[in-house]
Amino acid sequence: MKNFNLHGVMQAPVTPLKDDFSFDGEGFAKMVDFHVRNGAPAIAWPHHKAESLNLTIAERKLGAEIAVKTVAKRVPVSIFVGTLSEEDSLDIARHAQKIGADMLLTISPYCRRPSQEEIYDSIVRIGTHTELPVLTYNSPWRNGEGVEFTAELTKRLIDRLPNYIGMKDASFHSEKFLEISRVALKMRPGFAIIQGVEHLLAAYPLGACGSFSSSGAIAPNLCNKFYKSLVDRDWETARDCQFKISRLWRLFKEQYPSSLKGAMIMMGRPVGPTRSPLPTATKERVEFLRTQLEELNILQTEPHGW
Amino acid sequence: MSTFKPGLVHTPVTPFKQDHSIDYDTYAKVLEFHIRNGADALALPMPEGEDMSLTDPELRKLLEFALKQVKGRVPVIAHASDAGTSIAVERALHAEAAGAAAIVSNPPYFWHPKASMVVEHLVRIGTAVKLPFYIYNPPVESVGTTLSTEIVLDVIKRVPNLAGVVDASLDFVFMEEVMCNGRQLRPDLQLIAGGDFMVSSGALGGTGAFSPLSAIAPRLARSLFDLCRKNQFIEARDTQESIGTLNHAIKSAGESGLRDGLAGLKVALGSFGRECGIPRPPVRGLGEIERGRLLEELAGMTFLKAEPRGW
Repeated sequence: MKNFNLHGVMQAPVTPLKDDFSFDGEGFAKMVDFHVRNGAPAIAWPHHKAESLNLTIAERKLGAEIAVKTVAKRVPVSIFVGTLSEEDSLDIARHAQKIGADMLLTISPYCRRPSQEEIYDSIVRIGTHTELPVLTYNSPWRNGEGVEFTAELTKRLIDRLPNYIGMKDASFHSEKFLEISRVALKMRPGFAIIQGVEHLLAAYPLGACGSFSSSGAIAPNLCNKFYKSLVDRDWETARDCQFKISRLWRLFKEQYPSSLKGAMIMMGRPVGPTRSPLPTATKERVEFLRTQLEELNILQTEPHGW
Repeated sequence: MSTFKPGLVHTPVTPFKQDHSIDYDTYAKVLEFHIRNGADALALPMPEGEDMSLTDPELRKLLEFALKQVKGRVPVIAHASDAGTSIAVERALHAEAAGAAAIVSNPPYFWHPKASMVVEHLVRIGTAVKLPFYIYNPPVESVGTTLSTEIVLDVIKRVPNLAGVVDASLDFVFMEEVMCNGRQLRPDLQLIAGGDFMVSSGALGGTGAFSPLSAIAPRLARSLFDLCRKNQFIEARDTQESIGTLNHAIKSAGESGLRDGLAGLKVALGSFGRECGIPRPPVRGLGEIERGRLLEELAGMTFLKAEPRGW
């Protein structure tokens, strides 16, 4: 198994759309290239930020091809295979391997309240269906909804799948994180625990290796500075960065990624509207975001245009 | 505002006799143990002290007893939480009159009121007293209301003596948002870890901890706390993992739907020579098999070797 040494704030590009809501392949290539040129240590697509579930399977394959071709081995590329139907996930996984993606991010099918056994079976089917390294997406919600990879489940999957190399963790919870990290990192040193969205400061000292980024679309310099401050153990700077990113996340999390796309357009990267049922950011919303980003000193310090 | 900084706060259990009455002789020993073993302050009765299983007269008597026993050697933070606002307010007033150093309150138990009503509940308690006031965000798995960032910000605006948030939700996003937005309103707002997970809280600027596991492993908890106070978060990881291992064993023992660990904690205490009985109903004590499994796990934890046995 190839060791990618995943680390840092890894970028998960949005999916640019044309005004008629069709997939903008040319814009997407620019988007991916923008992230690589701005220091992304890896590219991961299509996450929720990329409206993954509002893309057709054909669009997801096309996007994966563009991502792999545009990155051209400069950094690793992870393809997200989570869908409503496991058959589609298997199909996307086969395709990703064929076109030369570096790894897969997977979750058991959405909206099912699966048991731990069902999640195990699902991940084993996908993980044994491909030779690519596999990351799982831990997405527990309150009240037992969502898809949760407990420490026990993670342990069983590491035992079963030699290509299980890491986890995107969106539990954002000290105890749950520590349970997973203390078990997984002992069994498989180098197991990559990657925070979904950069709630990274609380997790990095406990063994998180980085994050899949939300704010990198707007503030890649801030993301890189944040990660460097963690590596340097410069906790004051790390807190400043984390709190700034936290304020950004509060601006963008509602109807994610509509506001984010609106702000990107304002910063000279026309990524188009957001597909229904998500709304497209209004002019007033974008104007509000402009004032906020100025106050946060983002407009003044981050790259504009492609 | 107050300069009260609680530091490493131990949260004593409440020992019970066979007939479920409070065992005050043992409680005195519990309090002495904590003071001798590094508590900067005490908070009681927290969930580990089974506050919800005590009657209102018992809660008052327990606090008075503790204050008399402690005699000002360390500050005592009184826990005043209830479903009804006026009950909680009265209890907080009693604690202030009795000589507590600070008050900590949950959002209302049981009800699921709108955010504005939770704010009203906490504001009524906080403004009734002059003591430093802390609000407690319960664990995510608990039943009832939790705090949102917005609730905290509203309480800060309306309660001048609000000193900080004790966070047992362990939620990274909540902690981040409270620190970055709350400190814009109140620069000295304190974040206190509501449990023994001090690294994440400390990295985000947290300065204190309510530590239930100090009842078992006060040396480990002190060492973790000191590393975090010195910003040595990477160095603290091993100790945090040890505490996490102990926490996991205790919380996963038994049948509690909440994984509150009450039964496991008391079994562990007994095995360290500090017998405190079993929890009050409706919490079940551990069965023989569960008890044996927990004791075996504890025996395998070499990092507990240096911890004190007996009183």
